[in-house]
Amino acid sequence: MKTVSAGGEAVLEARATAAPAPASGVALRRLWRFKWGAVAVFVMLLVVGSAVLAPWLAPYSPITVDIQHRLGPPAWMDGGTRAHVLGTDQIGRDLLSRVIYGGRVSLVIGTVAVLISSTIGVLLGLAAGYFAGRVDWTIMTVINVMLTFPFVLLALAVIAVLGPSLINMIIVLGVADWPLYARVIRAETLTIREREFVLAGRALGMSHLRIVFRQILPNLVSVIVVIATLQVARVIILESFLSFLGLGVQPPTPAWGNMLGEGRVYMLNSWWIATFPGLAIFVTTLAINLMGNALRDWLDPHMKV
Amino acid sequence: MRRMLSLGSLLILLVVLAAPMLAAAQTKDDTLVYALQSDVDTWDPPNSVLREAIILGYHVFDHLAVRDLKTRKVIPNLATSWKTIDDTTWEVKLRQGVRFHDGSPFTAKDVKASFDRVLDPARKMTARGNHAKIKSVEVVDDHTVRFKTDGPYPLFVERMTALVMHSEKVLREKPHEWVQENPIGTGPYKLVRWNRKQEHLLVRNDDYWGPKPAFKYVRIRIIPEQATQIAELISGGVDIIKAVPPDQMDVIDKSGQARTATSPILRTAMLQLDQAARGGPNPFTERRVRQAANLAVDADAIIKHVLNGLGDRTATGVNPMAFGWDAGLKPYKQDIGRAKQLLAEAGYPNGVDVTFNTGPPVVEPAIQQTNDAIVADMAKAGFRVKQNYVGDNTVLVARIKDGKGGPMFNWSWGYYSVFDADAILYDVFKCGESYSYYCNRELDDLIHAGRSTLDQKKRAEIYVKAQKLLFDDAAYLYKWGLRGVWGISNRVEYQAPADEVDRMFLVTPRKK
Amino acid sequence: MKGYALRQLFQLAVVVVGISMLVFAILHVIGDPVLLLLPQNAGKEEYERYHKLLGLDKPVYVQYWKFASRALQGDFGKSWYTDTPAFRLVIERMPPTLYLTTAGLVAALAIALPLGVLAALKRHSFLDNACTMLAVAGQAMPIFWLGIMLIIVFAVRLKTLPASGYGTWQHFLMPAFTLGAFLAPITMRLVRSGVIEIMNMDYIRTARAKGFAERRVVVKHAFRNACIPVITVLGLQFGQLLGGAIVTETVFAWPGVATLVVDSIRNQDFPVVQCAVILLALIIVAVNFLVDMVVGLIDPRIRVG
Repeated sequence: MKTVSAGGEAVLEARATAAPAPASGVALRRLWRFKWGAVAVFVMLLVVGSAVLAPWLAPYSPITVDIQHRLGPPAWMDGGTRAHVLGTDQIGRDLLSRVIYGGRVSLVIGTVAVLISSTIGVLLGLAAGYFAGRVDWTIMTVINVMLTFPFVLLALAVIAVLGPSLINMIIVLGVADWPLYARVIRAETLTIREREFVLAGRALGMSHLRIVFRQILPNLVSVIVVIATLQVARVIILESFLSFLGLGVQPPTPAWGNMLGEGRVYMLNSWWIATFPGLAIFVTTLAINLMGNALRDWLDPHMKV
Repeated sequence: MRRMLSLGSLLILLVVLAAPMLAAAQTKDDTLVYALQSDVDTWDPPNSVLREAIILGYHVFDHLAVRDLKTRKVIPNLATSWKTIDDTTWEVKLRQGVRFHDGSPFTAKDVKASFDRVLDPARKMTARGNHAKIKSVEVVDDHTVRFKTDGPYPLFVERMTALVMHSEKVLREKPHEWVQENPIGTGPYKLVRWNRKQEHLLVRNDDYWGPKPAFKYVRIRIIPEQATQIAELISGGVDIIKAVPPDQMDVIDKSGQARTATSPILRTAMLQLDQAARGGPNPFTERRVRQAANLAVDADAIIKHVLNGLGDRTATGVNPMAFGWDAGLKPYKQDIGRAKQLLAEAGYPNGVDVTFNTGPPVVEPAIQQTNDAIVADMAKAGFRVKQNYVGDNTVLVARIKDGKGGPMFNWSWGYYSVFDADAILYDVFKCGESYSYYCNRELDDLIHAGRSTLDQKKRAEIYVKAQKLLFDDAAYLYKWGLRGVWGISNRVEYQAPADEVDRMFLVTPRKK
Repeated sequence: MKGYALRQLFQLAVVVVGISMLVFAILHVIGDPVLLLLPQNAGKEEYERYHKLLGLDKPVYVQYWKFASRALQGDFGKSWYTDTPAFRLVIERMPPTLYLTTAGLVAALAIALPLGVLAALKRHSFLDNACTMLAVAGQAMPIFWLGIMLIIVFAVRLKTLPASGYGTWQHFLMPAFTLGAFLAPITMRLVRSGVIEIMNMDYIRTARAKGFAERRVVVKHAFRNACIPVITVLGLQFGQLLGGAIVTETVFAWPGVATLVVDSIRNQDFPVVQCAVILLALIIVAVNFLVDMVVGLIDPRIRVG
């Protein structure tokens, strides 16, 4: 019934891009993409590196309260000190440390949730595409139900029951996001299934499992990697939505979303409290998206079905 | 196809634009906009504990007596005079020529019906405890009422400011549910409509017996986000907001559009600890743990740095403005070492885990920031506090009433705007009351004695004893008496009220 | 066409039933309503009494049947906190949300259509690259951040637009733009790839070869066909749009159903959550159905396939 969105859109767009065009144009375009891709990879290395090394990099604990030095501006402003490079928040916690630790939360949620959703999605997509028939119909119906349903609403309904917490958020985001993978994988599997080498394998009497995992799956790796990369960005944004609404990661654990939510009331005088986590979200998701696009061009410039 | 699309979008645009415009009948000049963070649960004030319900009640209803904001004395309102006949009888004369919004005259039988309804135990009205000392109400003639009390009742006059007068006819003819949404009072404004959690629109009652309000309309908007309230105030969308965080005052004052005003208010903030074990066994049933909590927190520093000095440290829940306050009792001072030691003696040498239900800053400015600071202080003494934020004040209050407040939760008490120690002790510290998580028979005896004599000197002595007991037993984690912070648009004149009842009918346009 | 409509209607019914099951399962199977209603110190007998009272002792399918048949009559039970029927609460708040999402959709199209078409026609030009960059950046921008910025600029500094609330057309501008910006990037990319794909089709080339004016080719042939994927995607994105509306409504104190859902989740007011989620899902499904019909009308081939 339904066709494209986020990850699927990557494929659709790639298909259009792959259509005949002046050769030099394509080359230029790819080069342009890769340049940005390289920048993106560099940025992501920084983000991931600082998240991993947070305990050594962060000058303070992200939850140490110091009310005597609250609302301190960043170092380069009047009244700022080098002790707190990005300033301090409404109860005197060091913003730089909180942004660094917040990255940890975002990245962990993003990657774990995507691991969960891609695993479920790929397995179900393979099953639907390979076995077709009733299995396909059932899985596709479930996918349609899930896709029709606003992702955020579903996440909210589950959090209403489980209560807001980091683990619950990972589960929710992971479980709710699989249909995207399933749909794309199913479509790809449907075509690969009819290719000679699969048919040959079947004629040779290979088991279904072997055909699916040894013959079909390797052909799908690039598609999965591209979608998964782009989805990490989406999950990070969603996490920040939920935390902003107070339904995600709970204070005092720093997450970019809840920092932005808490700092909102200070936008008019102590703007830095909300601005730096906001920037962090923006830069990180931007970098991941660029990386995903570059990855797509690099792995398979045609990414043709 | 394109024509179809553009036609379609045009249509959609028309629908979008036309639909909400039906609302705008009033002009900006004759409308005053007041913002609240949280909506009322009902338009029947005696059936609600929320400050918002009291405030809204003042606009549509009248009370027998009101407080003069300058002198803080109680002065006549719907009652014109009152006197004691004997130790247990009060006689009240009523104002003549007052009419309800439905046109029916206000008489003695309305007073009787209003009190009888609240006093009826079967109705379980929230405000019952406030008036429980009244045994019966008798109609003498159309404009005279007699109250029989259960023993001497020193707070009778104060409490006349805390019950709105309903119409007997309405209470008789309409079902309870109707009364919850349709207030028929004698007050300066009438309710035009109520869109739950959005706004209330009030229109001036042109037949009002008292001074007429300056603004024809009052819009009361429910704006949960404080950032949005402030943005609205300084962009001219809202005229009056309250509970402004002290660290945002400069934003408002520098805006050129609005200013701030502060006033000590009759409200004490504390963290209630579940000494009475209403939610089951918890560490705070042990006195040493409660004392440790009190000793862990540096409240003076929090007042100074987080509230910018806008708070008055209290030794117990009794507010400095209330009758009976003991100025000699010194509050707890931070002593982490002693707190740790007490906690260890109580059986928690490695610290203790506690859940803390927190609420939004509806009546208490900067509540989240002070909570965070308190939690950080408590951590130093070994309390591992997990905050659980309940975003809706109505819900938090409802849970607390049901005994689901948890071992520790945000609480502040506005005394129903009655300036007397009894108005907090009875409701918040007495065994078995809805909003009390403390139970101590010794204190109950003192509370009872305090409300049973007309001798103010004797009462003051009783309350000194009660406060000593509450302090020594560390009933709750005591914080401070609040100072209200209002944001007021420069287009209006308004005095910050010490009884925390915003009165939009007193707001006037500023002379240019 | 009739058969096509019937087929779509059947699918629609399946989806609606699926969603109601999903919501029911989330709230009743994962969570335990009794625990939320009972005071913390309630004994076992009281628990059992409530359990029975709520009908939770019956088998799950009986409970679902009861729930579904009541829901069909618009009876979703009473809100646990305000004592009003959940259905009434939700219906009251529905119009502002529908207006907002419609306005957001219009805003998204206003941004995405011209940019997408231009980018496709001037492929690989500076303009195209700029648009792509803008789209990638737009996807990385958390919309609550955008909303807050708009409030600061247009309400607080310039004092030209109301900072929040609902009532006049001015109130619509900032929320609609915020929501539009949320949806515009993906829409733009889809418009672009849709137009590119169609420009490469044989009949367009034929038309061009025949010497039709470029303008006429674009408007008459390409645009019409490019509409199909765009409309389909917009139908799908309507769900995402509602997700975005949750955040937009929160930022602008918009009195819609999305804020009601967030409040109800915080309050664990399940009847309201249930009712709102199901009604929203119904709307999404209905929109998708309409979209399918429109697409079927434009492109007869789809009806068969």
